[in-house]
Formats: sequence, structure tokens, C-alpha cells
Amino acid sequence: MKLNKRIITVMVTVLALFLVLVGYLTYFTVFRAPEIIKSNHNPRIWEREKKILRGTIYDRAGVVLAESKKDGDNQERVYPYGSIYAHTIGYNNRNYGKTNIESQFNDYLMKTPSVIDVLRKDTAEDEGEEDPLTKGANLSLTLDHSMTQLAAQLMGNDHGSVVALNPVTGEVYCLYSSPTFDPNEAKLTENWDELTERSDSPFFPRATQGLYAPGSTFKVVTAAAGIDEGHENFTFNDKGKTTVGGKPFRNAGGKAYGQIDMSDAIRVSSNVFFTQLSQVIGKDALREKAKDFCVMKKVPFDIPTNAADGVFDDIDNAELGSVAIGQGKLRVSPFNMALVASAIANDGVIMRPYMVEEAFFEDGESVYNATPEALSRATSSRAAAMIKEYMVGCVRGGTGTAAKVPGIDVAGKTGTAENERKGKTHAWFIGFAPADNPQLAICVMKEYSGHGGGSVCAPIAAKLIQNALNSGLITR
Amino acid sequence: MKKFFQNIRPLLLLLLLNAIGMLLMYIKGVDTLEDMAILCSAMCLLSIAMYAIITLFSLGDSYLFIIISMLSTVGIIMQSRINQDDGMRQMKLYLVGVAFFFIALFVYKCFHKHFEKFTFFYWGLSMALFAFTAVFGTVRNGAKNWIDLPGLPSIQPSEFIRILFVLSLAAIFTRARSRKKGKYIPYLERKKIKSTRLMFAAGIAFSNALCLFLQREWGIALLFFAIYIAFLYIYGENKLFFAANMVLVIFAAFIGVKFMSHIQVRISAWLDPFNDVDGKGYQIVRSLFAIGEGGFAGTGIGAGSPYLIPVVNSDFIFSAICEEMGVLGGVAILMLYFLLVYRGFKISLSSTNEFNKAVAMGLSVMLGIQTFIIVGGVTKLIPLTGITLPFISFGGSSMITTFIVMGMLQAISSIKGEVTDEIE
Repeated sequence: MKLNKRIITVMVTVLALFLVLVGYLTYFTVFRAPEIIKSNHNPRIWEREKKILRGTIYDRAGVVLAESKKDGDNQERVYPYGSIYAHTIGYNNRNYGKTNIESQFNDYLMKTPSVIDVLRKDTAEDEGEEDPLTKGANLSLTLDHSMTQLAAQLMGNDHGSVVALNPVTGEVYCLYSSPTFDPNEAKLTENWDELTERSDSPFFPRATQGLYAPGSTFKVVTAAAGIDEGHENFTFNDKGKTTVGGKPFRNAGGKAYGQIDMSDAIRVSSNVFFTQLSQVIGKDALREKAKDFCVMKKVPFDIPTNAADGVFDDIDNAELGSVAIGQGKLRVSPFNMALVASAIANDGVIMRPYMVEEAFFEDGESVYNATPEALSRATSSRAAAMIKEYMVGCVRGGTGTAAKVPGIDVAGKTGTAENERKGKTHAWFIGFAPADNPQLAICVMKEYSGHGGGSVCAPIAAKLIQNALNSGLITR
Repeated sequence: MKKFFQNIRPLLLLLLLNAIGMLLMYIKGVDTLEDMAILCSAMCLLSIAMYAIITLFSLGDSYLFIIISMLSTVGIIMQSRINQDDGMRQMKLYLVGVAFFFIALFVYKCFHKHFEKFTFFYWGLSMALFAFTAVFGTVRNGAKNWIDLPGLPSIQPSEFIRILFVLSLAAIFTRARSRKKGKYIPYLERKKIKSTRLMFAAGIAFSNALCLFLQREWGIALLFFAIYIAFLYIYGENKLFFAANMVLVIFAAFIGVKFMSHIQVRISAWLDPFNDVDGKGYQIVRSLFAIGEGGFAGTGIGAGSPYLIPVVNSDFIFSAICEEMGVLGGVAILMLYFLLVYRGFKISLSSTNEFNKAVAMGLSVMLGIQTFIIVGGVTKLIPLTGITLPFISFGGSSMITTFIVMGMLQAISSIKGEVTDEIE
């Protein structure tokens, strides 16, 4: 019957709507819900946080960097060293949410042991202690408190970043960005409006997310590309200036160095040599090398990182010359440049960087452990060994002499990068020590400083290396 | 007695649901054992009695009441979990609803032949109720759609107008061709429905919708349009008129979106609720948090935080169900509605009286679309419009209306073959 057919059509339509609802609910639960419930506005997060004491965060030696204190029903997150860890640990705030480690490792900081585990263990021992069921897991970081404190002191009011890590394991010792802010609850609430409006963006984590022209420090990557492509014996008669692809390039101060090879070119930081070398290497080989060094890659890390891609798209010879000396459209974060130094230090291999070593319950039971692993084979170990020698030469008798540390050899490369502000060059230094047994790779960067990397960044690196030697973090 | 035991399984399932729900609440310390025992046994006894009456006296579809009882049980459990007093009141409302179910069942069963005669009386009564609300109504949540009479519980007339609306449309579409010179004319022989009738139908639909618009009952207005479109599709016999009406409905919606700030607020809250979490998006965001936190399995009854959801006992009850019983629980509830709507259409399909067929169809569409509008709304599938979830939301008018609707469906299912010979 025609009438019934139509009623069936209406019925199928209405019933189909129910299936749409079921499908949508499933989609929502699988794909949308996990993100949505993390929102700072979700009241259930804070309901739960009232019941669980958030885990403590320690540096590598057990110094408390963040802890929660009970205040009746409420908790207060205390950061005893104020601003210096704001860009690594971040903050946990009822009004402003969570950032960095407080956000990325929230699940561990709020993780409690299972009831069964607690019952199984001997509960008789520490009576009167904090109930193990209501304390989240603690985090042990690889950060070194004394080095971070010194870095903050040395940077002072200058804007920039300091990154230091172990090139062999990937443990990050120091990650500091300036300017910064005090993440403690009272201070954050008090200063929030001013901080968000300040033109120097104190909330911006420069070390991991700031993208800058790397300047001459990038010549390390160009040199590696040259050696790996078989141009290690390339020499050029440096007259202080040259033209590549119709674009003129000059050395700093217009100095002419005569017939030089790669070793000399790194020591004196010759722009003429490297722009010419780039034409021999070619854009494809340089792009591949840049990829191997991860300079255009958002490196997987315990907190968000940043990178810019697309530099090599539609690139002409003149632009290739610019990129080879770290100018042009190339933008790299200080964190990634520290990894470039670590690649040369570690026989050409970049280890995956990490900052959270372990998450563990009060009773010592471990629930998360970082393991060192290789991230990328940046260059051949032969090229790494050669460039290491050149970088040692740079600190011994080139642009990087201010990075010298008595008793050990330091390898380094300076950079002074031009940018959109005339005369306000970025100052860079990347390096590692000791050169014969590298245990510390470092990148010091000052944005818009107007000075050379050799004069303002290399001395900071030297002091940090000296401090690491004194504290026993690295050995001769 | 054989009939009673034929389909006993779903009944046992229902009793089990009751027992588990009440036990869970007792364990969670939401309620005292005594209250729970009274609630649980009352629900169980009532369900058994109703089931017995319907099967033993051959009152038609034996699944309808079981599905209703299951949904009501979930409603009572959730209401008690949120607020113990509301749970008891919901229980009482359920009893009143069952009474109305049987009143509607017997009244409709006995007098159904007369119901098709009052086309314009239904419309007039609707308009009168609208006018009465407009003059004597009380403002709640920014809309004047309640009537508070001294000595009586407050009622929401728009709930009852829904039934009148379905009856008036059914009458106008089926009577238009039912009698000619005192004889029924079979549906297929009729060439064309008189265009005057179509115009009357459109007049009834749009006058109702206009009143609902003025009362800011967007949800129910949407529901009325859906029912009207379904009737037009099935009985209209005029593609041009159907298309013209669709255009008009879309135009009305467009005007509403363009010029009514209240609707704009809802649309923007739907598109990006996180843009204004403390303002426009507050309700929907809170609802999504609850559903998201529940996940597939839910937190368990008594272990969630339904008090963090706004208007949780009526419009947002589905979010609370998803939080505590999980999305799987929510889907199970949706499947119960699915079955109920399916039974409703099946009753319509097997009915041999044209008017009853149309009424059953209209009521089924109403039930299905209403559920879709509110569940889709709280899950952010469609813009949120305040409307109750049948059997589960707290509220007397909604509860009684829904039970009357079910009573009518039950009555239609029990009326068999009375007009068959007249048609064929």
C-alpha cells in the first residue's frame, strides 16, 4: 500500500536519526572527549586535584623545584626558585591552567598507586605519614639546579636563551629563557595582566620555541654537508667579498683571508668561503643535511618545541648562499642549535633530548623511566671528528677565544646574525666540552644584542662549563 | 495466564534493572535502605501489575509498557541520585502518569471514532491555551510558558498542545477524504486532496509555530515543523505544496537566525562553545565535560559529579546518564527510545483505521524527534533547544503528556479490524 510505504519512509528517517546520535556519541567519545576534558574549564579536574596531593618535582640532585602544600581543603603549588623554571616546569594554576611539564606530565603528577599495591606492601612502617593513596607520583628531572641558577644570573636582564645538554645521553642540564616570570600563584595572579601585555613577551619560551636566524653557527651544518659530499679539500681565495647568484656577500668587517680551507674558514668564520662552498654542495644536499641535523624539525621533547620548514622551497643560488651562512629565510630555535653542537660532539649522532628522568611514587616504585635513544644520524663520524677539530681551532685562536676554559679544550662556533632590526644582530655561541671526551653541549643566544657572539655569548658558555667542572657534572 | 508468561523475559530484565540500580545507589550511600526498598518494590510491583493487565485483557502491544517502565526506572534512579526528594516526586509522577496512561487508553479505545470530528476544536483549544498562557502565564528561564494556578501544580501548556496538534493534523488530513456522500472512500482511489484542506493544515501548523516562537519554545516549534512535514509528505499528495512549505520553513528558520538575538546566541554557542565558556557556552561545555569524563563505561552511579551540570534534572539529564552510566549506557537508553518509536510506527502501520493510523504516526514522529532534539542538543550535534527527555526528565507536564501519548498508542494497537470491511 502506497500510504504504508510512505509511513515506512518516515519511520526509517526518524530511526536513522537515532543511529546518527549513536554514531556521533561514539565519535565524540573516541576522538573529541580526550581533548575536551583536558580543558582548564573542566571543573572535575579541580575536584580531583583537591583529593590528590600533586607530586613533587626534583632536579637531578634532589633539589625541590616544585611542590604542593596542603592548606585545609585546598592546595598551593609552590615554586621555591620563582621565575627560573617557568619555561621548563611551567605552572599549575586554577585560573590560568597548566603549562610545560605541569601540563605534559599531569597524568603522572596526579597518578596514585593502586589500592592493591599499597595493601600488598608493608603498611606498618611509616605511620602518620602522608597517605600513599592520595599523593601523586614525583618527577625527577635531568636539570641541574646550580647550572640553571648561574645561567639566569649570567643572562641578567638580556633577552635570550641558554641550553645545555649531555650529547651522549640527551639529558638536558639547563634550559633557560629570558625574560621570564614568577609562576607562583600569588605572583601570577598579581602580575597576569601586566605580563600578558608586556611587549617583550615574558611568557614566550624562547629557548624551545623562539625561531631566529642562526647566523654563522649554521656553518657547522654547511661544513658537514661539504665533507659528507666529498668537498673536504675545497679551498677558496677569500678577498673579503664575493658575489653568489648575483648577490654580494662580505665577511664581517670586510676582512680578506686569502687562500683558505675549511679549517681556516670555521676558525675565522668566513662568509665568502661558505657561500662559495654552498654552490658546490648544491641545494638538495644542503637541505638533506639540514634535515639530518633536525634544524627544521619539531624535535620530540618533554615540552613543546618549534621549528620552521620550507626554507629550501623554490630556493635560488643567492638564497642558497644566504642559508649556508645562517641567514636568508632560515630560522632555528636555540634548542635545535644546541642539538647541532651535540651531533658534532657525539660522533655525528643526535640523541633524543629529555628532561624528565623518572616518575616515582613516595615508596620509590618507578612508573616512568626515560631511556637514551638516538634521534638522528646527523653526519658521518669522520665529518664530526674533522669539524670537532675545526671548532677547537675556533676557540683556541679564532672568533671563539672567549669560550676558553683552563685545563680543557672547548670546541665552539660563534654567530652574529643579521635580522629585521638594523644593527641589532643576534649573538650566538654553540659548542661542547671537553673536546676529547664531550659531556656537555651548549648553546647560548642573546636576541637583538647588537654584539658579536664571540664577545657576549662565548664568555657565558665558558663560565657554565667551568661551573659544571667544579660541581662534578663533567670531568676532564 | 499463558499469555502472561509468553513474553515474560523482558519483564524480568526490567525487574533486574530496578534491583541493580537501587542497590548501587544504596551502596554509594545516596539513599537509605528503607527508601530504596520501598521505591524498588513499588516499581517492581507496579510493572508486574501493568504488564499483567495489558497481556491478560488483550490490550494490544505488550512491549510498549515494558519499554516505558525501563525508561521511567532509569529516570527515577537518576533523579534520586541527583536529589533524593526529586526521586520520590518523580516516583509519584510516574504513578500519576500510569493513571493517565490507563485513562487515555480507555477513553481513546472507547471513543476513538469521535476523535476525528473535532479538527477545529483542537486548534481552537490550542490557541486558547496559548492566549491563556500569554495573559496569565509565569516567566521561567526567560520564557513565559508556565501557568501557576492556586492549589494546582504548575503546568506547561505547550506540552499538552503537542497532542492537540497531532490530533488536529490527523483529523484534517484523513477526514478530508474519509466521507463522501456518507461513504468512506479508499485512500488510493482519491485523486487529489482538496487544496482548501491543505491550506487549513498549513494554517494550523504555522499558527501553532508562531505562538511557540513568541513563547520562545524553539525546541517545540522545531518539533511541530517536523510533525507537520511528516504529515505533508505522507498525506499531502501535492509535491508543489510540499516544496513550498519546505521553502517557507527554511525561510522562517533563516529569519529567526538572522533577526532573533536569542537564536543567534544559541547558534554561536553551538558552533564554538569554548569561545565563551562562562557565558553562552556554559551549559553545553559543562554537558560535554560530563559526557567526556564518563567515557564508554561511565564513572558508575553515585561516583560522578552531576551537580556540576546545569539544569541537570531536566534538559541535561542525558549528560548525567552518560557521565555515570557511560556512553554505552546512553546508547542503551537511545536504543530503548529507538524500540519505542519503532513499536509506535508498527502500530501505525498495522492499524486499519485511517485516522488512528495518522494519529499513531504523528505521535511516533513526535516522540522520536523530541528525543533527537534534546539528546542531539546536549551532545552538541545540533544547536541546543530546551525540551524534555521523555520519561526521564523531571517535570509533571512532560511526564503526564508522554504517558497520555503512550496510552493513545496502546489504545490504537488494541483496536483491530473495525473499519477494515468499510475500506475494502
